[in-house]
Parts: sequence; C-alpha cells; structure tokens
Amino acid sequence: MVVDLAALPGTRLPEGRFTITAEENARLVRALGGRGLSEGEAHPVWGYIATQRGIGIDVADLLALAAFDIADGPMLASCMLTFAIPLRVNREYRVEGEVVGVERKDGRRAGMFDLLTVEERLLEGERLAATVRNVFVLPRKERA
Amino acid sequence: MTLKPGAELGPRRIDPVDSEAMCTLAEILGDPNPIHLDAAAARAAGLGDRPVNQGPANFGYVLDMLRSSIPEGHVVELHVRLLGSVFAGDSVVAGGRIDSVDWVADAAHASCTVWLDVEDGQRALTGTAVLKVPQARATPTSPA
Repeated sequence: MVVDLAALPGTRLPEGRFTITAEENARLVRALGGRGLSEGEAHPVWGYIATQRGIGIDVADLLALAAFDIADGPMLASCMLTFAIPLRVNREYRVEGEVVGVERKDGRRAGMFDLLTVEERLLEGERLAATVRNVFVLPRKERA
Repeated sequence: MTLKPGAELGPRRIDPVDSEAMCTLAEILGDPNPIHLDAAAARAAGLGDRPVNQGPANFGYVLDMLRSSIPEGHVVELHVRLLGSVFAGDSVVAGGRIDSVDWVADAAHASCTVWLDVEDGQRALTGTAVLKVPQARATPTSPA
C-alpha cells in the first residue's frame, strides 16, 4: 500500500473515552514501587496510559496509518506530558488526538526511519486535563 | 524541601527492576509485546537476554522521584527522551536537579532537569519537568 506521508499531519484520530479505576491505579503504583497517592489522585503516568488506551484506535492501526507494521519494531523516542489539572480516579475522560507530523530521516548508522509525532488529549467534558505528545521511531527496512 | 536552583532531587533507586511488575504493567499499559514478558522474545528480537522494561515505566520512576522529592507539589509538565533500554534485574536510579524557580500568580513553578540511570551502565532517559507548588506550601525563596 502506498501512503502519502506528507498528507498525514492533521489526520484526526477516532475519539474514545477512558476511566482510570482506583483498582488499576493502585496496581500501577505498586508495580512502580512508588509511594501512595492522596485520596482520589491518579498517578501522573496515566497521562500517557489513558490516552494510549482510550483513543479510539490501537497502536498497531495508528502505525498502519504511516504504512508501518508494528511487528517491525517501533520505538517510543520521546514523550511530553502536560497537565492542566491533576488526573483523578473514577472520572471519565474523553480522549481525542491527531497526527502532528511525520519526518523522514536517513541516519548513517540507523539507516532510513521516520519520526511520527502524535498528540492526544484527555478532557473532562470540554475542559482540558492533560496533553501528551509522543514521538515514535519507525525504522524503514528499505529505502523509499 | 527548599525550592531553590541547584537543589538535588532524589535519588530514587529501583533495585531490581522486577519482571513480575513488568507483567502487571504490560496489562495496565495494554501492551502485549512479548519482549516485556519473555526473555526468549527479547533474545529473538536481538535485544539481549532479559525482558525489556516498558518505556512508560521508566518515566513513571522519574515521576515518582519528583513526587517524593517535592511532595507538596504536582507535576504540570514532563518531557523525556528515551535513550536506552532498561532490563529486568537492572538497578536504576532516578534523579534530578532544580534549574530555576519562577512565581506565577500564587504558586512556585520549579523547572527541573531529570534523568534515569542504569547503575554501572548508561543513561536510559533524560528530560525536563515543571512542578507547581502552591505558595502556602512552598518554603523559602518566596517572592519578595
């Protein structure tokens, strides 16, 4: 399949919804080995997790938009989390997002790869709660 | 702690990175990639002989380090670059430093450099963070 990567930026992702349950929050805190949280507070790493799980497209299909097979080993290169308000458990968030950019690189050692930038947001009703901007490295096996 | 430029944050040590916790995180992250669960899968992918820790877990450790160092504040921004892998059984240390403190309305905003190092190994993650501390809870360096 031929995909016009230059046309991808601005592509809206299907919206979804996500609720951070108190039980999953407690399991997460234990797994990370961190200190407890105050009543009702969600661990801030949920800013990443809730957007990834809540957006209406799974990672494999998201990467397929860029004609990339998840089996070819994508890597998360960077993540920027911004919180307008602290996240809370047992509260339903609306999740929306879009492809922000695709940049082709040709590294001497790494070979050809694309940097896919995706922004997703958690909203309480119409109120922004958190924004996550992820950059994925998509190694290309063959030169374009 | 006193909010002042140059103040060290952490360290927070995770020793060892636990493979059972990685299984729990795989469920919570909704990430079935076997390289996080199975040494054979990591080996087959050319990533070494141990399961690879999830990237979001690595910045989760950094978020916990920030929460422990400045418990009266909350993270409003975290920007991380993932530089290398952390493996099951590794010992890692999350740390940071306050670079500047600015007052915005009634809160201190502490801008920090953060990192996660594998002990006796490479830096796995580097980045920046901003914590917001309400004036009533912030010690010293309050606005003149």
